[in-house]
Amino acid sequence: MTIHRVIRKVQRFQGWFGSGAALCLGAGLYLGLIGSPADYYQGEVVRIMYIHVPLAHTSLIGYTVLALGSLWYLWKRDPIVDNMCQAVAALSAVFTALALGTGMIWGKPTWDTWWTWDARLTSFTVLLLILVGYLMLRTFVDDPEKEARYGAILAIVGFVDLPIIHFSVEWWRTLHQPQSISMRGVSISSGLLVPLVFMSIGMSLLFSYMLMVRTQLLYLDRLLHAKKGRLLSQFHLSKSDS
Amino acid sequence: MTSFNVIRWIVWKDFVTELRSRETISSMVFFALIVILIFSFSFSMDQQAAREVIAGIMWVAFAFTGIIGLGKSFSSELQNDCLEALQMVPEAKGAIYLGKVAANFAFMFLVEILLFPMFVILFNLEVVEGISILLLIFFLATLGLSAIGTLFSALTVQIRAREVMLPILLLPLVVPVMIAAVEATKGALNGDPLAMYEQWLKLLAVYDVVFTVVSFWMFEFVMDS
Repeated sequence: MTIHRVIRKVQRFQGWFGSGAALCLGAGLYLGLIGSPADYYQGEVVRIMYIHVPLAHTSLIGYTVLALGSLWYLWKRDPIVDNMCQAVAALSAVFTALALGTGMIWGKPTWDTWWTWDARLTSFTVLLLILVGYLMLRTFVDDPEKEARYGAILAIVGFVDLPIIHFSVEWWRTLHQPQSISMRGVSISSGLLVPLVFMSIGMSLLFSYMLMVRTQLLYLDRLLHAKKGRLLSQFHLSKSDS
Repeated sequence: MTSFNVIRWIVWKDFVTELRSRETISSMVFFALIVILIFSFSFSMDQQAAREVIAGIMWVAFAFTGIIGLGKSFSSELQNDCLEALQMVPEAKGAIYLGKVAANFAFMFLVEILLFPMFVILFNLEVVEGISILLLIFFLATLGLSAIGTLFSALTVQIRAREVMLPILLLPLVVPVMIAAVEATKGALNGDPLAMYEQWLKLLAVYDVVFTVVSFWMFEFVMDS
């Protein structure tokens, strides 16, 4: 059995992504934690933003990739696209959960509360719920083809829903109370921007690297199951012959 | 058979089954009554407090009962392999979807109309002026719930743990419907001018159009076997 050509490409290039991620994240962490000044208003707490913002961006990019991959799967029905979708969904869920977690840690000293029903927080929570629902759905379907198809449908419907969820939550909050804490208006200085850019690029590279490894793993797992099925049926056939 | 006939026969079939078994609507109504009862215990409301939370209680009850109806919509097709028969319909699968949406919408709307007087009596609401706008809100929000709910009812019917998975998948996706329906109902019950909550009606209308189209399209892939 030959390895899929996409997987062979991935195997050749993934090292570059991994080391690129390590370099960017290392530089970004050094600049962010040691090289850059503390924020005038927020103090040292602002440094968690260097992790929080890239996590949030990357998880949104991940969900976009999931929706596009799902469309591609429904169109071409290539199982390797589905392996990619499953990998990207799990990674996006982890990144979304980490973004929410770091946001809460930042919110406690800054807003003096762990949680507030702010528009962005609420829509990120709904995003996490949709991703976890996607992963749960996949574990409850027995047939792999059906699992891929149903997952793709949910991902596409959720992707269409996401902007509507965001708008409705934003209107809901602004009608109830003026948003008491807003990040808008706090312009960012270049001393803070440079580490943030490094961290964003590094986090995207890390996401891509993890995606490549995970896709490969799921692909090989599928090959293994296919092989096992073939061997078992050969075994039963040879037994019934004798 | 043309597609329109498929829609008509599916609606007719669902109504006849419901008339003969009386399973779905009666279980929906009784479940909703229990939800109302539980809520009124857990909030111990006076009239003033009731005005604040009644719209929310109403839509939680409607959404939960709606999920019961939606779940039954396709799980009843599992008996005697009716689902395979539906998949063999030579017309476009979208016709089956539209028929099921129409039937689900009719059941949910009927249950809401039956339950609404209960809310009026139990919580002493003033509804005479706002009744037409309330009916419009019920119509739009129920259409949104049944448009996306029918798709997920069909999707979850062939998997394990379908009773659990339908609400888990559906409720996060209908967050906009719930917010818009609650806010608009609250406005209508308080007698606010329409301009204050008009945007929620528009949001509901947009949601209905978007998700009827998307679900219509995705339904082809659900039934594809």
